[in-house]
Amino acid sequence: MKQFISLLRISLNVNFGISALRYRFIKEKKRLWESILIFLSIIIGGGFFTAFFTMILYNIYLAGAAINSPEIVITVGLLAGQFMIFLFGILYIISAFYFSDDINILVPLPLKPYHILGCKFLVILINEYLILLPVLIPSIVIYGVGSNAGISYWFKSVFIILLSPIIPLIVASVFVLILMRLVNVRKSKDLLVVIGSLLGLFFWIVVNYYTQRISSDNPEEFIRDLLSSRINIIEELGEKLPHVFWGTYSLSKTGLDGLIYFLLIVLVSVLAFIFLLWLGNRIFYKGLLSGQEISRKKRSLTAEQINRKTQETSNPVMALFWREWKLFIRTPIYVINGLAGMIIVPFLMLMPYFDSSGETQEILSLARQSQFIVQATLGSLGLLLFTASINIVSCTSLSREGRTFWISKIIPVSPKYQVTAKLLHGMAISGMGILVTIALIAFILQLPFTRLLVILILGTLGSFLLNILNLIIDVLRPKLEWNDPQEAVKQNLNGFFSILLTFIALGCWGGLSILLFNLGIPEGWVYVILGLSTAVLLIPSLIILYSLAEASYKKLEI
Amino acid sequence: MIKISNLSKSYNRSGVKAVDNLNLHVKAGEIFGFLGPNGAGKTTTIKMMVGLLNPDEGSIIINGFDNQKDPIGAKRSIGYVPDSPMVYDRLTGLEYLDFMASVYQVPSDVKRERIDYFLDMFGLADAANDLIKSYSHGMKQKIVLTGALIHNPALWIMDEPMVGLDPRSSHLLKELMREHCDRGNTVFFSTHILEVAERLCDRIGIIHKGRLIAIGTLEELRHGEQAETLENIFLELTEQ
Repeated sequence: MKQFISLLRISLNVNFGISALRYRFIKEKKRLWESILIFLSIIIGGGFFTAFFTMILYNIYLAGAAINSPEIVITVGLLAGQFMIFLFGILYIISAFYFSDDINILVPLPLKPYHILGCKFLVILINEYLILLPVLIPSIVIYGVGSNAGISYWFKSVFIILLSPIIPLIVASVFVLILMRLVNVRKSKDLLVVIGSLLGLFFWIVVNYYTQRISSDNPEEFIRDLLSSRINIIEELGEKLPHVFWGTYSLSKTGLDGLIYFLLIVLVSVLAFIFLLWLGNRIFYKGLLSGQEISRKKRSLTAEQINRKTQETSNPVMALFWREWKLFIRTPIYVINGLAGMIIVPFLMLMPYFDSSGETQEILSLARQSQFIVQATLGSLGLLLFTASINIVSCTSLSREGRTFWISKIIPVSPKYQVTAKLLHGMAISGMGILVTIALIAFILQLPFTRLLVILILGTLGSFLLNILNLIIDVLRPKLEWNDPQEAVKQNLNGFFSILLTFIALGCWGGLSILLFNLGIPEGWVYVILGLSTAVLLIPSLIILYSLAEASYKKLEI
Repeated sequence: MIKISNLSKSYNRSGVKAVDNLNLHVKAGEIFGFLGPNGAGKTTTIKMMVGLLNPDEGSIIINGFDNQKDPIGAKRSIGYVPDSPMVYDRLTGLEYLDFMASVYQVPSDVKRERIDYFLDMFGLADAANDLIKSYSHGMKQKIVLTGALIHNPALWIMDEPMVGLDPRSSHLLKELMREHCDRGNTVFFSTHILEVAERLCDRIGIIHKGRLIAIGTLEELRHGEQAETLENIFLELTEQ
């Protein structure tokens, strides 16, 4: 037990970077503003999400109350939480149980498999509360306030919140333990990342689709439909996940009934945890160790083959470009994040196209009419800029180098040329986005060729500018300390700054276009002014990028 | 070849100097061994020489180029091997060497010849076409070495280059170092293996707590006491 507690303590320290934070603030005394900014953006982002979700939950509560089952709001909160925990949990568990760096240190220590497993499980559990709270607290508060619940409700609800992620996380853990025992997932880690990301994307699109439907038109009516006999998803799902109903009843029922359900969920959680430890003790190491073996194909190359396979010596900028390209394209998490905009936006664009409802078709036919051609052109341009620029390519370009950044520091190529190669890479990816979106615009909106050409030219110019600005963000604050490529792109605040910047830029372009039209300037001239103003901005932006790169590359120490 | 003057560097704001007023002159044609206990400032000095760290004070002249004022000129003269071979995992060995040759602008025919030579010497030919992430520590070390030497730099700067190498490769590297210096070039390397320093180095510098506490040939360090080994000298000097 003592071993377990000290392992847990050190794991929590590492997970939340407590010692690292203390070192940074007390010893290094720097970058405090950065952490405050991260904290604030999480609070603001989380706040928006919670407010939005609370609104939906409140509608569900009203609809539930109308059919005399107000407790449905708790079921929905618990269910949403269970799905989130399960989905995030699987990826989280795979990476923490099988791919984390500390495994190589922990396995040789005189610890039982269940010590390591249990400890990692608890660390994940604590992290999951952060995801769960914004979902669960609103539903519990809405019901509690709405039904004037007594003190025992609030007391029990604290325990229900604490207990609710345990069962889905155990189910995810058991699933992962068995999966890792059966297949050598370590070998196909890249494939796992792709599958996980696609699942996440699919989940995101589905959630978006439903939340849009809920928040549009008549939300109460939609929810009533959802709750009533027509599509009774919640009840069906609830039947398959009985602990969600136990959780609901333990809160909504008073007296002995509530207590029995409450004890039931406590008992099941404890038993499930014991089962997990028992299973872990038997199969955790087996799956873990079978994945440690690395195999390599042995193919001896003759001098002639080497000659054939080596490229002609190229210009350093091109060599750097190909380095960027190869490293990007061979790292699934980069590809998924870099191309996400190009996958999601076209998908969302195509969805209404296949939606045969009158309303959508009406909008489409309006957009195709000649009197709305300006709006269609500018709207498409905005969409294209968004698609081509919402990627992590430029804003994490330096960050992705991580600990290999030393190579960029020692090679005799000036930072100016190094960022030029990065810019070319960013533009190559954006270029793919531009081509895909323009093809879709041509297909769906059937704009005339001249307008498509205008969109193509302005889109390319704008995306070039955005790539420069995104690169500036990363040059100013690259995140070079990471162990997993995922951290370089997903846990990098530069992505957030990049989105912010893209929205600001789109706002500026939009505002300028509206202003020009209001001044009565003819359509063609509006495009010319938009293009010229962007082109003029390119030069100072490039100069700023180059001078910042020179300073930053020199300043960065590794 | 290397002229370090009044070099100082401290980390953070603690004020403790990792390198404290270091002065060092390494001539062309020398193998210079840089010794010191853990945390003495060896890697910090080396990193400042190759441009990975910025000195707080002082200057470093490499092959006639001030590495602060003309970093590109200085970098062209250096082949650097770090203490841990952190390279692009998702490139093949051959792609990495191609990349290094291109950034150092090595002509294609020379590049092919040198790649062939090093891969054969280090026994890497069968792995050259695999992704570096499948390499062992030693193989990564060899590919970094090859990448560092592909442009035939006048100055080799190596931080613990023998760590991770098998005895055969380690032996070959030592021979290469000797040949390189015999052609009038320079090797500056740090090591903890005192026997290697004793046998290989023309001159040795010992750094302790950021200060250069001894420098000279083995003879000079012995102060005429022939029986004294480098190990004894090292222990005596660094105990204080």
